This record gives sequence, structure tokens and C-alpha cells, in this order.
Amino acid sequence: MGDLFSNLGLGFGVVFQLVQWSPAFLGGASIPIPVNILLCLIGALVGTLVGVLPGIGTIATVAMLLPITFGLPPVGALIMLAGIYYGAQYGGSTTSILVNIPGEAGSVVTALDGFQMAKQGRAGPALAIAAIGSFFAGCVATVLIAVLGAPLTKLALAFGPAEYFSLMVLGLIFAVVLAKGSVLKAIAMIVFGLLLSMVGSDIETGASRMAFNIPELADGLGFATVAMGLFGFAEIIRNLDAGGETDRKLVQEKVSGLMPTVRDLKDSTPAILRGTALGSILGILPGGGAVIASFAAYTLEKKISKNPSRFGRGAIEGVAAPESANNAAAQTSFIPLLTLGIPPNAVMALMVGAMTIHGIVPGPQVMQKQPELVWGMIASMWVGNLMLLIINLPLVGIWVRLLRVPYRLMFPAIVVFCCIGIYSVNNAPTDVMLAGGFGLLGYWLIKHDFEPAPLLLGMVLGPLMEENLRRALLISRGDWSVFLTRPLSAVLMVLAAALLVLAILPSLRKKRDEVFVESEN
Amino acid sequence: MNATPGHSPVKSIMPRWVRGPQDFVGGIALMAIALFALWASSDLQGMRGFSFGAGTAPRMFAFLLLGLGAAVTVVGVLTEGAHLAKYHWRGPLFVTLAILTFAVTIRPMGMIFAAMTSFMIAACGTPETRWTETFIVGVCLTTFCSLLFPYALGLPLQLLPSFLIR
Amino acid sequence: MKRYGRSVAGGFLAALAVLGLPSSQAQAQAYPTRSITMIVPFAAGGPTDVISRIVTGHMAQTLGQTIIIENVVGAGGTTATTRASRAANDGYTLITGHMGTHAASVPLYPNLAYHPEKNFEPVALLAGTPILILARKDFPPKDLKEFVAYVKTNEAKVNAAHAGVGSVSNVSCELLNSILGIKPTGVPFNGTGPAMNALVGGQVDYMCDQIVNAVPQINGGTIKAYAIATPQRNPSLPNVPTTAEAGLPAFQAQAWNAIFAPKGTPPAVVARLNEAVVKALDDEGVRKRLLDLGSVIPAAAERTPAALGALVNKEIAKWTPVLKPVQN
Repeated sequence: MGDLFSNLGLGFGVVFQLVQWSPAFLGGASIPIPVNILLCLIGALVGTLVGVLPGIGTIATVAMLLPITFGLPPVGALIMLAGIYYGAQYGGSTTSILVNIPGEAGSVVTALDGFQMAKQGRAGPALAIAAIGSFFAGCVATVLIAVLGAPLTKLALAFGPAEYFSLMVLGLIFAVVLAKGSVLKAIAMIVFGLLLSMVGSDIETGASRMAFNIPELADGLGFATVAMGLFGFAEIIRNLDAGGETDRKLVQEKVSGLMPTVRDLKDSTPAILRGTALGSILGILPGGGAVIASFAAYTLEKKISKNPSRFGRGAIEGVAAPESANNAAAQTSFIPLLTLGIPPNAVMALMVGAMTIHGIVPGPQVMQKQPELVWGMIASMWVGNLMLLIINLPLVGIWVRLLRVPYRLMFPAIVVFCCIGIYSVNNAPTDVMLAGGFGLLGYWLIKHDFEPAPLLLGMVLGPLMEENLRRALLISRGDWSVFLTRPLSAVLMVLAAALLVLAILPSLRKKRDEVFVESEN
Repeated sequence: MNATPGHSPVKSIMPRWVRGPQDFVGGIALMAIALFALWASSDLQGMRGFSFGAGTAPRMFAFLLLGLGAAVTVVGVLTEGAHLAKYHWRGPLFVTLAILTFAVTIRPMGMIFAAMTSFMIAACGTPETRWTETFIVGVCLTTFCSLLFPYALGLPLQLLPSFLIR
Repeated sequence: MKRYGRSVAGGFLAALAVLGLPSSQAQAQAYPTRSITMIVPFAAGGPTDVISRIVTGHMAQTLGQTIIIENVVGAGGTTATTRASRAANDGYTLITGHMGTHAASVPLYPNLAYHPEKNFEPVALLAGTPILILARKDFPPKDLKEFVAYVKTNEAKVNAAHAGVGSVSNVSCELLNSILGIKPTGVPFNGTGPAMNALVGGQVDYMCDQIVNAVPQINGGTIKAYAIATPQRNPSLPNVPTTAEAGLPAFQAQAWNAIFAPKGTPPAVVARLNEAVVKALDDEGVRKRLLDLGSVIPAAAERTPAALGALVNKEIAKWTPVLKPVQN
């Protein structure tokens, strides 16, 4: 314990470090500047901006900012880059809630209830609870990294291909539970998503699959492309149908309080706690853990809720839980990087790049060799989360005011922002066209009452599932029993089976539910 | 997200025995997609001994989708359901046109032209557009984007048409 | 106002002059007059990207223009390389190619839309990254000789990880396997990070990888290295023997990175760029950064465009017989 405090002391010392700045115009006098705090703030601000802009991914931004960090001391550079990463998690919920455009896989679920809340004039409380939940989750996860980082690394290493496959199966079952309508149609959408995820090159042979010789399809469909199309563009087209404008007018008139009520807070507290716990654990797993954190949290809330039918219709727990899980996972996903030196996702790989440019190659000894770097980063995360809360709560008012902009001006602007966002991912015009195609597909899906969320989740999980299945079978030489003989994998499979039963049981009573839906209208 | 079922029913062109036209057509379309995927992945290698080939997983999912599509169709025949929703042409047409314009012009013409043009085309998507107001907002938005993306975020976006740069 | 008018007229005259006299001489004197785009065919933060950024950072000072790095990922780098091969050959679009995009891609992708020799002008070699033979820390063999014997007798049992078809780790491991005459089960991963994770976690037995990723893990004792596939030992891993010392001299592999320009780029422009690269490679700061990565900086004789052209030719000849059978 004493060790921990001295380490944290070191970390905060690094974060609050003052650098004497003596500009010429002061004539020799110098002002102390808290450089790292400023860099953390810049990172948090840029991250929020990146998260809010649809399509502009964290990866692209961190990549673009890499050269700027050349001139900075390595600790400061990494504090800033980390700030962008988790700042984007805060900002990502904003577009999901306001305009139903999830910026990344983690905020797909937030859009389900968040956008419904916005439609009911409760965008303010939704945005605020997302920020509060994220802050709480960020603080807890940071402590977790500090206290248990090293032992938790073992969990990350215990996960082999078989375990990941079982985890992805569990993830797909979560996606079924997400659906608010017919379970059959939700499963059909997941499989459709899985099928779409097959486009691209085969991992083992490199053969091109269903790419029709289009170079931009050679590596598969991008998440931003499909998400912007199915959610962003489709939503716009749908709103433009007769009645769209009047709908929006209603929303603008209904706007109630900006901050959550006492009841909202009471409803969300347990959801935030559970979301944080789930997100913290799943975030540690490199390669896919963090992706399923938010919808695992959503599913859990829906399943243990006394009244599951509220979900998908503006339940505040449906925003609080996934947003907390999302941010907790974003923080704990630093564990493999800080303890093993292995980047668990593309953004972390960029941070490794930033470190190598500065001559620090992270590895298993990074904690011993660069304690000020590791602990400085951990301490900066806590400071950064606090900053983000302070930045985001006042922003809620501005965002809600944005909803008052007439839709006839708002939608062309969203179209342009989405186009730029998609284009910036790969600098590929074809991606923009594909997103347009997915917009029409999304419009068609809406018209036939198919939900796009399970489709998107199927698409995200598809490659992870297929690749790990194939790896597991290659290693086991074709023996399918590995999924049940490896204990961790077996536990996940049993969980998945149990959840599937729970998900399908209510659909047997579907007839009655439908009556309820009808009478609601 | 979901269209209110039966909100604006089209006069049914479906035979009487189809009780839920929305699901019926939806299921058939999914089956068509699955068949297309089966065709598109037919050139890929299947199982090689114990290990998966490139085509194994795509075909597996395509068959699953075929089955699920069939099930949705059957549900559409057997149970009372929503009618086909009404489609509108104006919104989809202009929004898609705006997206395509952006995609085609961004490389040769630069971002200023692409953003402004696609903004104006998208605005045609609703009869409520007031042109002076839209034009002013479009100019402001284009200026804002031109400052934000290349400068504030440092993305490698070209602002001006390439023939002006050369 | 008057001044504005004159500068526009001046610009117009200059443009006319360039149009009227498209000789490489006139262009080279002006070159570069605007920012240069450097396409990097891999994700930002990877070895090729880091090396490109270090070198172009210094080149920008020499040339007096900014160099914008554009990461275009996909299909083992061939998407970006195809795009670069079709870019204007005016010296304002360049690409950092490497062993994969400008040599191994020829046998790996039968429908390749470009040819490294026919569609590109070699500019300069930047740096080489040595390749190591790595194994999980509890893999039985103690040294390279034992390793060779072990994998030959347990061919059906061993698993070799790689970072995806066409990646450096995949291609170099194919070379190793073909030298050893074995066909172990190859387990593909999506990138070096996940592959290294599986090796550290003990899920796979061995792999070949670039030195950058492996040094800290070897020093941390989470994996072990049998040999380095270069003629000399590397300063960052003084205890790891070369393949020649350890008894497998036939296995020589280095992931090299080099700048290429689209075919037909004026020789004077190529010369100017080459000069900037050479200057960067002589800079102390640049050298230190590259050496910290475990890179090998090319000697003076290897830095000319002609030397790079010869290297590409040699490498294509080297990889073609190794990689052709992989395809089918």
C-alpha cells in the first residue's frame, strides 16, 4: 500500500510539474507553467471535439497530432494523446444522443435510449448523466489500474483465441437482447451484419472476399462508413419524410430541465456502478474486450430491470450504464500497454509509436524503467477525467440549444460533417459513396421495421469472431472441444447459453407483448 | 428509430394471404441478399481439412441469413402485421445526390467547393428550404469547416481545386 | 492593390514559363515550391511510419517545405502503393515503400496493379529493420541449433504466429520455413501487437518479427530470441547471435524502408530528394532516433537511387521463389 501511495505521489508530482517559462518580453523574469496540466487540458479538449464530430476518429486525430508531439517531452506528449483518447469517449456520446449518430462502436448502444430521451425533450439529462457516469467510471478505473494493473495483466494473457471466440459469442447474444422488437428479426440483422463483416481479405490466405475488385473494399467495410450510413444518413432521410419537421418542432418545444432530476440520479446510480464494474473488467482484454463493454452493460441493465420494455424508449439507465462501461473500458485498456507494452488497439498502437519516436520502447519493464511516465499517465487520467466533467457539464446547455436550430438548416450541415468525417478516415471518396448506399439501406430497414443496432454490432464482432474461431481451430488442429475444455472459455459459453435462453423465453410470450405495444399507441 | 407500423399504409398490392406485407417483403429481400452473397462468395475456397477456407464463414452466414429471411417471410404470411410503409423520393434523392457530389468533387475540386455544393444540394431535400438563409448558412459552414478540419485538427484535406494549386 | 496585381501577373508569367518550358531543369530549380505529400502505406505508429516521420522531419528543413504524411492502409500496403503509382510525377507525391510493397508484393498479389520497378523511380533507402527469430519463453529449444532440430522433428505440432498475410513477419517466416524445409501451422493475427500478445501469453510457439517490437519483450524476459538475421549483431541486443554465428547463415532478412517517386519524376527532382535524405541520415539527432529503434542506417554507397533500384531488383528475385508456393 505504501508503495502505491509513493507511486501515485510520483505520478501527481509529474502531472503538477511546473516548468519555468521566461519569455523575452518579461525581461529575465520567469513564470511557472504547469505544462503537463495544460497538455492534459488540450488533449481533453481536442478529444471532446473529435468525439463530437461525426466520423472523425480518434485514430486519425492521434495520428495527425503525432508530429506535434515530437517537440514535447515524452511524458507530456503521452498525457496529451491519452487525453484525446478518453476525451473522445466523452464526446462520442453527444452525437449519439442529439442526432442518433454513433461515432464509434461503443456509442451505438447509447444512441438507443439517448436519442429517444432527446426526442422526449430530455437531451440535457441524457448528456449530463453520460458525463457524470463517465467521470465516475474513469475515476474508479484509474484507481483499478494503479492498484491492480500488474495482476490483471495475467487475465489479458490468459485469453487465447478460444476464450475470445467464446466472448464474442456471448457478445452476439448481448446484441440479441438489445433489440426492442422481434427477436427473430434482430437475429436476422445480426447475421446480416456478420455477412457484411466478411467483405474484405481473408485473414489466413489473404484471398479477397466479396470485394468485387474495389480496392477500398479490400480491407472490408469501415465502421464509420456503415454507422454513418445506417444511423446518420438514414435518420436524416427518414426525418425528411412528411412529418419530419413537425416532429422536430415538438422536440424543441418539449425541452425540459438541462440537469438530471433527483429521480434520474437515483435510477442511474446502480446502473453506473454496474456499468463501471463490467467495463473495467472487459476493458483489460485486448482485441475486442472494450468493444463489447458498452452493450454488455446495457444488456445487464435491461435484463435485471423490473420493466425491460422501458429500454429503447428513453430509459436513463440505458444511457448511464453503457457510457460508464465505455469509459471504464477506455481507461483499463491502458493496462496491457502500461504493464506489458503491448498495444491492445489501434489508438494505443499509435501511442507506442509516439513513445518509440521519443526513444522509449514500451515493454514489460516499462513500469520499472519509466516510473514517471507510467504513473504520470495514470495520475493524468484522473485529472483529465475531472477536467472533462468540468468541460462537459456546461456544454450540455450549448448542445441542447443546438437542437433549436431549424431542421432544414441542421440536416444539410450534418450531411456535410458526416461526409468530411468519413472521407477523413482513409482519404477515400469511395467510402463516402458507400456510406450513401448504406443510408438508403438504412432507410429501407427502417421502413421494414428492422433495427440497425444489432446489424452494426454483428459487423463489429464478425471479424473478431471468425478470426478467433479459426485461430483456435488451427491451434487445436480442428478439435472443437477446446471451447468447452478450456475453463475460461467454458464459463463464457455457459453464460452465453443461459443468456440466450433468457432472451428467447420472453419471445414465446410475444403475442401478449404485441398487444401492449398496440395499446400504447 | 422505427417507423410507426401502419402509419401511412400504401394500398396493398399484396395478395390476400399475405397478412404482414412488411415482414413478407423484408424477409424476401433478406433472402435475395443472402443468395447474392452466396453467388459472390462462390469463387472462394471451402474447408481445407480441419481448417476453414476463405469461403467457409461467408457461406455459413449467407445460409443462416437465407434461413432467417425465410422465417421472417413465413411470419409475414402467417401473422397479422404492418402494411408496407410509404416511401418518399425527395429526401432520399437529394441527400444521396449530395453525398455522391461530395465524393466525386472532394479530390479534384477541394473541400471548399465540395462542402458548399453538397450543402446546397442536400438542402433541396425539403420543400421548407429558404434559399437566402440556406446560402448564408452554407457559406458560414464551409468557412467553419475549412478552418476546423485542416487547421485545428490538422487533417490532410485539400481546400482548393487541384488545378489552382498546380 | 498595385502590388497584388503585380504578384498575380508575376505568378501568371511564371506559370506560363513552366508550361512553355517543361524541361526538368526549370522545374528542379523551383522544386519544391509547395508542400510535399508522403504516402505511408501503413498505419501511423508502425515501424515504417515512425521511420518516415523521423526522416521526413529533417528533410522538410533541408527542402524548406512541409512534408505531409498521409497514412493509407490496406491490402498489405498495396492500396497506397497503387495510388502512389498513379499520382502526378512532379515530385509532390512520394511514397515510403518497404520490403512488402516493393518486392514481396510481386509474387504475393498476382493481380497487382503496379510493378515496383516499372512504375516507380527509386529515390533513397532510409533504414533497414533487422528480423529476429523469436519464441515463447518456455519453448523447449535453448538455441538456434536446437530450434532447427526441434521444429523439424515436431513439424506437425508447432505453431508459428504471424501478423497477417503479406506482413513482414509472415513473409520472413515463410523464408525461414522454406530454408528449413518445413510447413508448420501458421496462425494469422491482425497486426504485430496481437501476435506478440499471443507469443507472450504462450498460445503460439514461434514467430519472426522486426526488432523494434521485440527488444523490450526480450529484455523483459517475456519471450526469447534465437538469432538476428543480419550479418552483424545489433547494438540494442548485443547478446543475440547472428544467424551466421548460430548456424543458419542462409537465413538473412531485413525489412527495409525507402522513398519512391512515381515513374517519370524528373531526375533533378529525384536528386534533390536524395540529397535531402542523405543529409537527414547524417544528422546526429536522426541517427540516434533510428538507432534507438534498432534500425540499420545504410552506408554511403547504399544511399543512391541506383543502389535502391538494384536492391529492389535483388529483393524481388529473392522473394519470388519463396512466396509463389504460398499463393496456391
